Amino acid sequence: MSAAFDLSTDTSGRLVFVDPAGTRHQNVRPLRMFPLTEPNHWISLQDASGREVGCIEDPSKLSEAQLTALRMALAKRDFVPVIRTIHRVARAADGHEWQVTTDRGPTKFRTENDEAIQSLGGARFVIIDDHNTRYLIPNVEDLDRDSRRKLERYY
Amino acid sequence: MPVQPQRALYNLANRLIFRATRNRLPSHATTDSTETLLQHAEARLSANERTIARLQTDLDASLHFHRGMVILTSLRLLSVEATKNRDISFRSWRLLDVEDLVLEELGATAEVHLVQAGELEYAWRVITGRVREADAFLARFKEQQRILRSESAALQKALDGNGGGDEFDDDATTTGPRGSPLIRLLKFALPWRSLLVLGFLLTLAHVGAQMITPWLTMDLVDNVLIPLQSATDRVHVKHVYRFAAFLAGAAVLTWMLNWAKTFVVARLAERVTSRMRRETFEHLQRLSLTYFNKKRTGDLISRIGSDTDHISLFISINLIEFLSDSLFFFALAGILIWKNPLLAIAALGPAPVVGWLVNKVRTHLRGGFAAASRAWSAMNSVLTDVIPGVRVVKAFAQEQREIDRFRAADKHIFDTNDRVNRTWSFFTPMIELLTDAGLITVWAVGAWAVAHDRITVGVLTGFVFYIYRFYGRLESMSRFLASAQRASASAHRIFEVLDVQPDMPVNDGRKKIGRIRGEIEFKGVKLRHGSRQVIKGIDLKIQPGEMIGLVGPSGAGKTTIVNLACRFFDVTEGAVLVDGTDIREIDVEDYRRNLGLVLQEPYLFFGTIAENIAYGKPQATRAEIIAAARAARAHDFILKQPDGYDSMVGERGQQLSGGERQRISIARALLIDPALLILDEATSAVDTETEREIQEALDHLVKGRTTIAIAHRLGTLRKANRLIVMEDGRIVETGTHDVLLAHSGTYARLHQAMMEVTHR
Ligand SMILES: Nc1ncnc2c1ncn2[C@@H]1O[C@H](COP(=O)(O)OP(=O)(O)OP(=O)(O)O)[C@@H](O)[C@H]1O
Ligand SMILES: [Mg+2]
Repeated sequence: MSAAFDLSTDTSGRLVFVDPAGTRHQNVRPLRMFPLTEPNHWISLQDASGREVGCIEDPSKLSEAQLTALRMALAKRDFVPVIRTIHRVARAADGHEWQVTTDRGPTKFRTENDEAIQSLGGARFVIIDDHNTRYLIPNVEDLDRDSRRKLERYY
Repeated sequence: MPVQPQRALYNLANRLIFRATRNRLPSHATTDSTETLLQHAEARLSANERTIARLQTDLDASLHFHRGMVILTSLRLLSVEATKNRDISFRSWRLLDVEDLVLEELGATAEVHLVQAGELEYAWRVITGRVREADAFLARFKEQQRILRSESAALQKALDGNGGGDEFDDDATTTGPRGSPLIRLLKFALPWRSLLVLGFLLTLAHVGAQMITPWLTMDLVDNVLIPLQSATDRVHVKHVYRFAAFLAGAAVLTWMLNWAKTFVVARLAERVTSRMRRETFEHLQRLSLTYFNKKRTGDLISRIGSDTDHISLFISINLIEFLSDSLFFFALAGILIWKNPLLAIAALGPAPVVGWLVNKVRTHLRGGFAAASRAWSAMNSVLTDVIPGVRVVKAFAQEQREIDRFRAADKHIFDTNDRVNRTWSFFTPMIELLTDAGLITVWAVGAWAVAHDRITVGVLTGFVFYIYRFYGRLESMSRFLASAQRASASAHRIFEVLDVQPDMPVNDGRKKIGRIRGEIEFKGVKLRHGSRQVIKGIDLKIQPGEMIGLVGPSGAGKTTIVNLACRFFDVTEGAVLVDGTDIREIDVEDYRRNLGLVLQEPYLFFGTIAENIAYGKPQATRAEIIAAARAARAHDFILKQPDGYDSMVGERGQQLSGGERQRISIARALLIDPALLILDEATSAVDTETEREIQEALDHLVKGRTTIAIAHRLGTLRKANRLIVMEDGRIVETGTHDVLLAHSGTYARLHQAMMEVTHR
């Protein structure tokens, strides 16, 4: 189906989707169906009212221009920092305070309870802070020894 | 070869600790009296008379417990029971004279009436638990009567042919292997017998090492200190250093052995208890729904959780220590007697008193610990009841009531613990007192012996050292006592679970069936829940690929029928046939792979939405998961969740709305592409618009599979090939929507009522 539709960015930077039937959808929002376990596949395209107008299983099959348009639109919508180093985890009055370095720079955040740290199967973890921001740890084994030790106490 | 030491250890432990427990198995008074009754009855049988069946009765006419027995022989019906003055009363009726036997169910009790010429001639009373047995007995009776009446030799022969040993199996006794729980615990350790033996050897070595220090002390005092004090020989000082070095060496050796022993034994304990936990859980998974209906979650949780913990503690700390202590004990006694019998007798004097005390306290403690474990279960049950129901608690403002309930459960725990502690707090100081008594005796007798030159000061010092250790060991043995009793009580609770026979797959045909065509037939199906007849006779044949709508008032038995089709329960009478095979002959797991089930109360597990949809087929691809979700009209709302398909649903799916839960459970059922799709009120919690959409999606999906759909909103079942109307455990009407409406029966009534509600 990849040949039958088109993706582009309009002048104001919004995504435009032309579905296989030829209908043109302005301002579609790309949405990852599996943002944590399979972020690079299965992108749903929704119109302004939240209705699904299309679905891209494998973006790597898109043309270069389409892919860039999709990537740009996605980047604006998602913000899932990847944790590289854990500096400090301190017990606070109600939850824990974390000091980490992510792929988007160093930051601090708070988690409320043990359920904030979720295993996504294998060595993959996600930490959800009290503002609902998701911090991803794609592979615990890739963290340095110190960070791993700190995390170990919580899962 | 490695079996040898293990066996010896086993026997030793057996003899040392558990003997008394074993002897004290309660004799079963009740079996005794039924046996007597049976003997009495059988003594009266004539030569050509055989016993065919028997039924134990429980109650007398005033509903007091009173054992009796009705026996069906090939010719007669016998009734035996004990009378007040311990005689046996006995009555009999010739089968051909008996007009009828009728079972009257009266709620918690039931009566078997012997009817003679339309009048009640005699009645036996049983408790509800025996109703099934009574039913079976009546069936046997009727059969035998028929045989006698027809006087057919051929039939008689057939009966002789199959009437073998199974006639007396008392299906009430489902106890598994017995024996002391602690002995059975040892059996759990068998796979790690090398660890067990290693632990034991290390323990032995540790005990030996502990003996060295007092031994050296004796020499030190006699050959160094005393001569040093009396004479002025400088050479002896070097000996002091040598002794100090030896003592240090002994201390280091003891420390290392202790370390190794503790490590090995803790490893062993962890493995044994983990195996217990796993096996208990695996066993639970095999038990039928009936078992879980009766059991409280909290109780099972505490059995698997805290009871195994008690056992772990016992093995890791107390068991091996106890063995080493016993050895130590005997080695010490030996050394003492060898060194000086007189002093030894004085020193060991209080030991038998301790032995006696231990024995007294033991049973007491065991009862206490069993009660404590039960109290713990009760508290867990309160927690598992209240925490999931917290919304109801809050909605009805019943927080205080739940607080009180928890308080009561908690108080029960500390009361039982207090009881144990009372015994305990008396016991430990008592041991100490005895230690002191032993010491004082040793000092007194020792001083006398030294004065009379019977022994040296060194021997006396050594003795005092040994005695200290000796009673120190006694104290730790007394700690063992508590721990052993606690572990024994806990082990018993775990074995209680393990000994439950899985009651579902009774006549496990183990027939592999693969994918079924989807023909389901109910043949004269009846089902009883306790004393209540829930299904009163259903005959229904569902063709492969047919869609059946089950309707009827609440409590009619619709869910129960579906449960039977899933084989969550077995029928009491009749049979459920799948593709012409009795469902009881089919491998349960194999069969259930054909089922897509959407329950009235959808249950989601803690995990992501994708995991929940793929529950029945964990290897499903993402494309399959999405397709199933689309079909169940769940796709759109799933994408509105913060993490899409990766969103957590919370415990039991609490973070989703009722309709959302339902749609996920529909997707879950659809994903496995079931041959038999069962929808029990599957769309009751979604709005009519969504329901219509799901219905349309299902219309495509029901093709090629048998569907049983239950719904109260009758419109949902428009597409059904046939509607089956149930009422009070029976099928009252069958037909299509239009036919049933025209018939103006139950369906028409239900429909009418629904229309009134919607058009008001
Ligand atoms: N485990 C059980 N033990 C005893 N009685 C039970 C048990 N399960 C169900 N029943 C009884 O069996 C009857 C039929 O129950 P069932 O759940 O089949 O009704 P239903 O037709 O599905 O009703 P609804 O439309 O309300 O779901 C009910 O009266 C119920 O009280
Ligand atoms: Mg129901």
